[in-house]
Amino acid sequence: MKKITALLLFVLVATFSIAQQKIDYDKKLKEIGVELIAPSKPVANYVKAVRVGNLLYLSGHGPDRGDGTNITGKVGLNLSVAQGYEAARQTGVSILSTIKGELGDLNKVKRVVKVLGMVNCTDTFADQPKVINGFSDLMVAVFGEKGKHARSAVGMNSLPGNIAVEIEIILEVE
Amino acid sequence: MKQYTTFFLLVTIATGSIAQQKIDYDKKLRELGIELVTPAKPVANYVKVVRTGNLLYLAGNGPLRADGSYITGKVGVDLSLEKGYEAARQTGISILSTLKEELGDLNKVKRIVKVLGMVNCPDTFADHPKVINGFSDLMVAVFGEKGNHARSALGVNALPFHTAVEIEVIVEVE
Repeated sequence: MKKITALLLFVLVATFSIAQQKIDYDKKLKEIGVELIAPSKPVANYVKAVRVGNLLYLSGHGPDRGDGTNITGKVGLNLSVAQGYEAARQTGVSILSTIKGELGDLNKVKRVVKVLGMVNCTDTFADQPKVINGFSDLMVAVFGEKGKHARSAVGMNSLPGNIAVEIEIILEVE
Repeated sequence: MKQYTTFFLLVTIATGSIAQQKIDYDKKLRELGIELVTPAKPVANYVKVVRTGNLLYLAGNGPLRADGSYITGKVGVDLSLEKGYEAARQTGISILSTLKEELGDLNKVKRIVKVLGMVNCPDTFADHPKVINGFSDLMVAVFGEKGNHARSALGVNALPFHTAVEIEVIVEVE
């Protein structure tokens, strides 16, 4: 009898802790003020994401507003650092949308592993980290500790369609 | 008796080859004139390293000196090719320091897998490989064949804090 009680208690605790780990991401995204978009289709012979083992490699994403337009411009010339931050955040929204489309459920994200953040900027601009924080802050707001990643934040002298930011990432998934 | 002899011979060879694989990296780094630095702490919502399986993904590192300052400037404008090479080597020292901090022992490095080397330079500069060689030469000097890696060396128009070089690596570990 004692053994059965212990077993039942164990099952109960295990079930509870699994249930606790499942997050209602739809609700969480609404709370953060994130509205997912319909991911754009690749414009040539490549794909948005490739999975190898439990790693998901994503193509470079831009600050896609979801209405067919992107946030464009050069930080340090016609965009402020704050506007660059917003562009990096919007790029994060685009990436979350692709991940949702790819995995079905954001609960399958185990870790944001590696991020390369590229900022369209002037030659003298040196605050790339403050721009890419718009992306990193969003990942941590959505995924918590699992959203913390190894990162490079660098400048580019031009990006496709004159987008303000491009970001590519590697994810560990279930 | 013959069986025992074979057994002991096998044990001797096995022990010998394991002992041979362990390298005194402290001594080796001293011989190469390398003084490890205290890796910089991440300044935002990201981390220096993420491990997934037996791969370490490192954040972008810059040419951090032991005194906490960075080698800054644009190669081809403020810095010569030789100075750029030195900056890439110093970035390698920063990366070795991060690896030491993460793994405790550099013997756990199995292979430097992939390197993205970015040089802060003007639009007309084309000798990026000669700059990033400062990093690659150091990896091979320290790790031998295990230090040989797949690499991209390219130019960017701007880097955080005006650093001369930024390098990110993927490392296979024990």
